[in-house]
Amino acid sequence: MNKKWIESNTFHHSEFKDLDRLVYAKQDKHMSISLCLPTLNEEKTIAKEIIIMKSELMTRYPLLDEIVVIDSGSTDKTRHIARSYDVAVHKADDILPHLEKYKGKGENLWKALYVTRGDIVIYIDADIKNIHHRFAYGLLGPLLLSDRIRFSKAFYDRPIATGDNKLHPTGGGRVTELVTRPLFSLFMPDLTQFVQPLSGEYAGYRDIFENIPFHIGYGVETGMLIDIYQKWGMDVMAQVDLDRRVHKNQDTKALGRMAFVIIKTFLNRVQTLGRVDIKQEIFDEMIQYRLIRDKLQPQMHALVQFERPPMSQIPEYLEKSANRTSR
Amino acid sequence: MEKYLDALPMFVDQIRKIREIIISNIVLIGQISAPTFYERRRAACLTERLADFQVDECSIDDFGNPIGVIRGTSTEKRSIFVVAHLDTFSEVKAEQHYEVTDKIISGVGVSDNSAAVGVLASLPEVFRRLRLTFESDIVLVAPNQSLARGNLRGIRRLLQTWPTPIRGAICLESVNLGRLNYYSDGMIRGEISCSIASEKQWDHHHAPNAILVINEVINAILGLRLPQKPRTQIVIGKIAGGFNHGNVAYDAKIGFEIRSDADEMVKSLYGDIRDIVDDINKAFAVELKLNRISNLNATRLPYNHSLVKCAARILNRLGVEAVSEPSETALSIFLQHKIPAVTLGLTHGDNYHQDGAMIEIEPMFKGISQIPALIMAMDDGVCDE
Repeated sequence: MNKKWIESNTFHHSEFKDLDRLVYAKQDKHMSISLCLPTLNEEKTIAKEIIIMKSELMTRYPLLDEIVVIDSGSTDKTRHIARSYDVAVHKADDILPHLEKYKGKGENLWKALYVTRGDIVIYIDADIKNIHHRFAYGLLGPLLLSDRIRFSKAFYDRPIATGDNKLHPTGGGRVTELVTRPLFSLFMPDLTQFVQPLSGEYAGYRDIFENIPFHIGYGVETGMLIDIYQKWGMDVMAQVDLDRRVHKNQDTKALGRMAFVIIKTFLNRVQTLGRVDIKQEIFDEMIQYRLIRDKLQPQMHALVQFERPPMSQIPEYLEKSANRTSR
Repeated sequence: MEKYLDALPMFVDQIRKIREIIISNIVLIGQISAPTFYERRRAACLTERLADFQVDECSIDDFGNPIGVIRGTSTEKRSIFVVAHLDTFSEVKAEQHYEVTDKIISGVGVSDNSAAVGVLASLPEVFRRLRLTFESDIVLVAPNQSLARGNLRGIRRLLQTWPTPIRGAICLESVNLGRLNYYSDGMIRGEISCSIASEKQWDHHHAPNAILVINEVINAILGLRLPQKPRTQIVIGKIAGGFNHGNVAYDAKIGFEIRSDADEMVKSLYGDIRDIVDDINKAFAVELKLNRISNLNATRLPYNHSLVKCAARILNRLGVEAVSEPSETALSIFLQHKIPAVTLGLTHGDNYHQDGAMIEIEPMFKGISQIPALIMAMDDGVCDE
């Protein structure tokens, strides 16, 4: 295990708060940067995220070149509110519409590669209650100020909002500590150095993202880390402490389903890499139980997993990239 | 005067173009809780924001007031103050989270007075976008310890020690657009608390009930005769007491405010309430205490003062009806110091001091446009007449 990585490639967002320096580095490298916000019914938080990012990192400091919202089909006013602040808003289903349609955050992230034009793409979840522009500039810092780092991932203190304005600190995150970290420890100990491997905020160069497959659901972060690690190694990756992130709480059963998907993604990867040989069928249903009139009733959750191939293998994307390059 | 009025539609449009900056300031500053006496973190954030917007001099004074000075082009002109009180009524000290939609901003304290503080932080950018420079220094201040027991301590101390003459002041309140205050009533706020001594608490059947004692006090206050002229009012605005349904209450208290446009009437009524408290104290043999929390003297600008007239014309040109009522804010402290001042409201809102507090976004652009227009007028000498 490369034990030095955690010392050399771990940063704090405050190291990058000199925004003039980041803008200079961006211009010096002739880079453009896209921010993608994946959404599904985020009417309470989407406007605040757009406003703060636009105000601080577009109007005041020209760090971001575009903000793009990719929506999974919200039934609330998410898209309407986002459009009212003059950013590009796309329904995921409307992007590359001839392809089979899937629902999931990973699907939105993957399709964002098709509609955005930045050399660097930042992904930030749209449900962050204490959003601050450090979430973006903190992730961009290592990419812009280092010639080596191509991908950066967030970690934080993660208090959970439980209503009535009360917050509870949670450490690394339950699924991380109970599922992801043990799996990484067993098979890929280098990756245990990521404090929060499942964090939903990360940034990277387009040539990283366009050359890896995207799991369409909860497995997107796990798959992404493993793929980048396998293709380019730990040295191209960094992690950034963004302090606190306040987000919605999820109940244990929902986390159980999340864990199911992550384990399945992980097993799929290690099998593909030839590290394990699973000699039986892996099932697609998560079985949970609930008590109804003194009887335990099974609840079957079909969690069929799909992955999008690397975007660089999609002909329409290649055509679009070629047009962009020729211009 | 006409040039400021004619510029108003352009001001509104230009200010709307930086709405993200204005809303960001409201959110980033407003989410930091600032109950009275606990404003330190919000003061630091505001100062940082002002510095970030290239305000010439940013500091926090010895009393904890965040101050930003935009240097004017003349060294001889007296400075113009723009103030928005920093503290909120909310007792919550934890981090707060605002919600923003396409139409409103909601969250604790946004309508009193976080939106105004966010607007204050945005003024350097507003002036820049409107390409405005002034001869006078523009002093941006968010005084702390303004509300309730704070008794406007921040602005009182600031004005006591401010080293140079002041030309005039604009006080900002988040709500309501159209608000134009230029006078304040004489006012005393007080609390009357009743405590039953512990040795009496054991005798459940005959122990005096603090709530009933306070009820006697309320009835006696309601019996006071209030004149119609000078205009006078006593508001009993807060009450608390007891701890459960089946036990005699050992503690109870009320909060009240005496307001009048004559200071003597306020003092006289406060004396009457002191007599009531003494009388009931003796009658019930309880511990009944009267505490003065804050006070203000009645003070005013004439309604035909050129600053008031100018502010009213700006509102009129914006198509907003001016509403004038007495205001017990920083305004009264400026007026006591013989500094011409008005209080302006910035937008419409609702549920001012409750969980569902909100302000409307679109009217705010008109509300903000009043500020540069009025400062231009003040810089041209409207307060000097």
